[in-house]
Amino acid sequence: MFAQAFFVAVFGLAAIGFGVAVFSTASMVRSALALLFSQTAVGCMFLALQTEFLGVLQIMMMATEMSIMAIFMVMFMMDPGGLGGMDMTHQKRFSLGAGVLAGGTAVAVALLADWGPVTAQAPDAAMQTRALGMELLGRSMMIFETAGVTILTAMIAATAVAIPVHTLAGNGDKGASE
Amino acid sequence: MNFAVVLLALLGSVWVLAVVEGWTTTGHLRPAAPLLSGLAHLGRESIVPRTPDRVFFEAAPVLLLIVAVLGAAVLPLAPTLVIADLATGALFINAALAYVLVALIMGGWGPNGAYAMIGGWRFLGQLIAYSMLIVMPITAAAMRAESLLNSAIVTSQAGLWNIVYQPLGFVLFFIAATALAFRSPFDLPTAAGELAGGVEAEYTGARLAVLRLARLVLVITLASATTVFYLGGWHGPLLPPWAWSLVKTLTVSSSMLLAGHHLPRIREADLLGWCWKLGIPLALLNIFVVGLLVLVVP
Amino acid sequence: MTSDPVMTSTGARQRQKRFAILQKWISRALAHNLSCLIVPGPDVALAHGLDVMATGMRITATPRDAGVLLIIGELSEKMSEAVTVLYAQMPRPRAILLLGGQTPSSLPSADVSAGLSQEALTDATEWLRRALAEGAFATSPEDFDASVLHARIEYVCPMHPEVVQDEPGSCPKCGMDLVAREAGKDECAGETTAEHGHHHDHEHHHGHEHHHGDEHHAHDHHHSHDHEHHRCGAHGHSEHDHSGHDHAGHDHGAMGFMSMVEVTRDLPRSADGLAMDWIEVPFGPVFPGLPGGLKLTLTLDGDGVTEGQATSLVGMATEGDEVDAGTFVEHLASAMPLAPVSYRLLACLAIERATGLEDDPATARARASALERERIASHLGWLAQLGRQLGFAWLTHRASALHLDIRHASQPQLIELGPALQALATRLGRTPLLKARLKGTGVLPAGSSGLRGPVALAADEAGDAWTRLWQRLAEITASLDVIKTTGEPELPVLRNIGHVSGVGEATVETPRGLAQLSLKLEHGRIKSYTLDTACSHHIGLVAKLVEGRELGDALVAVGSLDLSPWEVIS
Repeated sequence: MFAQAFFVAVFGLAAIGFGVAVFSTASMVRSALALLFSQTAVGCMFLALQTEFLGVLQIMMMATEMSIMAIFMVMFMMDPGGLGGMDMTHQKRFSLGAGVLAGGTAVAVALLADWGPVTAQAPDAAMQTRALGMELLGRSMMIFETAGVTILTAMIAATAVAIPVHTLAGNGDKGASE
Repeated sequence: MNFAVVLLALLGSVWVLAVVEGWTTTGHLRPAAPLLSGLAHLGRESIVPRTPDRVFFEAAPVLLLIVAVLGAAVLPLAPTLVIADLATGALFINAALAYVLVALIMGGWGPNGAYAMIGGWRFLGQLIAYSMLIVMPITAAAMRAESLLNSAIVTSQAGLWNIVYQPLGFVLFFIAATALAFRSPFDLPTAAGELAGGVEAEYTGARLAVLRLARLVLVITLASATTVFYLGGWHGPLLPPWAWSLVKTLTVSSSMLLAGHHLPRIREADLLGWCWKLGIPLALLNIFVVGLLVLVVP
Repeated sequence: MTSDPVMTSTGARQRQKRFAILQKWISRALAHNLSCLIVPGPDVALAHGLDVMATGMRITATPRDAGVLLIIGELSEKMSEAVTVLYAQMPRPRAILLLGGQTPSSLPSADVSAGLSQEALTDATEWLRRALAEGAFATSPEDFDASVLHARIEYVCPMHPEVVQDEPGSCPKCGMDLVAREAGKDECAGETTAEHGHHHDHEHHHGHEHHHGDEHHAHDHHHSHDHEHHRCGAHGHSEHDHSGHDHAGHDHGAMGFMSMVEVTRDLPRSADGLAMDWIEVPFGPVFPGLPGGLKLTLTLDGDGVTEGQATSLVGMATEGDEVDAGTFVEHLASAMPLAPVSYRLLACLAIERATGLEDDPATARARASALERERIASHLGWLAQLGRQLGFAWLTHRASALHLDIRHASQPQLIELGPALQALATRLGRTPLLKARLKGTGVLPAGSSGLRGPVALAADEAGDAWTRLWQRLAEITASLDVIKTTGEPELPVLRNIGHVSGVGEATVETPRGLAQLSLKLEHGRIKSYTLDTACSHHIGLVAKLVEGRELGDALVAVGSLDLSPWEVIS
């Protein structure tokens, strides 16, 4: 029990530490990878909390997702190495206020919500995986399938929107300039 | 105890693989060469390039080594010879191997050199191409075992190895594993002829030694995964279980090396095109076929 | 070995007594693990008949991985500069092994120098091994330094390439910190000085932490190259006006925050319509995937090539002092290490024409045989280079071995090697992935002019790298057939011409295409000459072949031309 609490605390602090690094570095790649390792630490917290499947899944998904984010940051930001010391903060007061408010709400929910009785013994990992599978393909199937398809649609749509439209006139211009 | 034995087996396999690699490139079978090569790296200066991202530069080889060992930790060599037989082992190995990509991105960005950087991002570009072909065949293997326990996956192949039960999955997994280990002909991130070593280009001395060791461990881990998921793991006549695991792992890893020796590097566009348009549908087909078999055949 | 190797001041010093035993083992390991970076390149080593692998040395792709700098032949001045940077990038302990040349002044004197032969190479390698095993070269007493390793540091705004200052500070337009960068040398043809500080970021120098002579910082000059490049590029993209860009910076500079959309609005777009960083990366002159001495400068957009051009750092200059005919023949032959026989023949023919000597049929046949033998050897050398570029180790190994067998083979030996050559071609036809790799890559643009040799002959079909491969394989077979009829190959030797005068012109179909030499002879001395080679024309094709291609395809396309940088006449 003590060891469990200890590891939860360590990984929690690591997650917060990496989270701070996300905003304190000027390098886009460092920022993205700090977010990655922050999420990995959250995954490790899941593991320490005996939710093996969720933990491993979190660790796996974040590696690829945040890496992809890193390359987009490099592609689109003007100073991805952070060598220019560019100040990328803006609307400081608003964001400070929003941050404090959101943080306060989260703490309040954590403290005030009724979390129910503490389970004495968590089911073993194999049982959890099985139960999760039953849940995903049972009651929650519609929710997850809808969410999945929505995300896929959003990705395709975003890509389609990002590609400039080649109109006939545009092609004509190109032809004329060549 | 298990930990020490598995680690020793891993190092031994790496040594054999390194000897085989030296044999294919120089034509001489020199058992001491890997050790001497490692020592020589320690004797060389370990240079840090100018204005590096120091954290990434230092962490990348170590991270690669750690994830390769972590991947091997959940793969059983024998019914009880495994460091951690996780209930989510088949998923865990995917999670560990996902960080190969992270290590390469860090190693590519860290040294502040164009070749290394392109090499690192190149590997990211291939992410979907190889990772889908790693994940989906593992899914099919887990479906047959009806478990994510790697030892259960091996047990499920007691009668019939998965290479026969689902040959399509094996071919896809073998190709994807070679690509994930960035061995020739999929050595796009470290291509000598295109990027002068790419991600490896700026590493010297002890750091390079760690990086090369990590690459070999990664090959062994992936070969071991191929053995566990498709070649029946420890099953086999006469020899003790652990010996079968080692023999199969070394055969798979050596064949990865030899195949690369006799093939030109694949075009990046072809790799992406074939994996996305052909590989992923085939992997889905494999899952479908295995699903039917699992339901229909008692 | 021509000279007795002498230990230099850089060698023989052990690190610390305490680690003496470990040090001893490490020294022995180092001696067993010699790895060398070949300058100008493995292709040149092979053309000189050197089998570096046979000495037990590993050939490396980068200076970072090399312990021995193996310099083959004389280096041009530009090459010497590049090699100095490469040497500085090598980790210690490092040694210089020099075969048949002089140490460039910018490098420390060679640790071993020897003649240009396999025996000399073997002896020198053995000597290096012994020296290393005894703990030599462990640490240099002083850091290596050379004038070419210094560069002026200037400071530039990451967003506004036109803001360049000598002192650190912030950008007057947007307030960002200026980033340090080395003031590069201007290399654009046609422009004499860097009027606005071209920064090609060519050589990165300073103490010990260098980048390759062929590899450079990518991150410290974002958004700068695209502008610079377009101003000096061969295509004259001067239409990229910076004014809009500047305004964006002005408008938002006051706020301290810039909108990505506005800032990148006027930047040149890639083929996919995204405004991204373009970096200019040099490939070569010592690059494993390209012939040694060839420098390819590519502007990369991700791993796509936006534009590129090739230059030769070892090209022959046709001006020179007047020399006697015999010296001229030797000079021309040694200036073209990848095709010495062809150019020896060309020089002999031109001089003999000038003197009005009649062709002797027997000599002509022997010479033709020698020329065809060189054609086979040269194509095999190209195949070995193709193998290196594609990471196709078997091909490099096999083609190199055949090349070494064929270089000096007699007619019966050549005929005996016929089946092996045929088997190589058959094997290549059956190799998976090879066709996919080469087919459709390096297609010559319609209306390309100045094509010669295999490149011209293959252009009639698809004109891609695949057809050029088969053209060369077909030429190997055809050359063997010619040798069967023309007899024993014999190296061209200049006949005694005496002190005659005259004007002569000759052409020879070299392995890379037609070469033409016209010269003016006065009293047995070459007064002046003009040389026209295939590669001088082919190098101009590079820009079109690489434009818009993926990096790997671009390099394969350039490789498929079989450019010999030595045969590019400057």
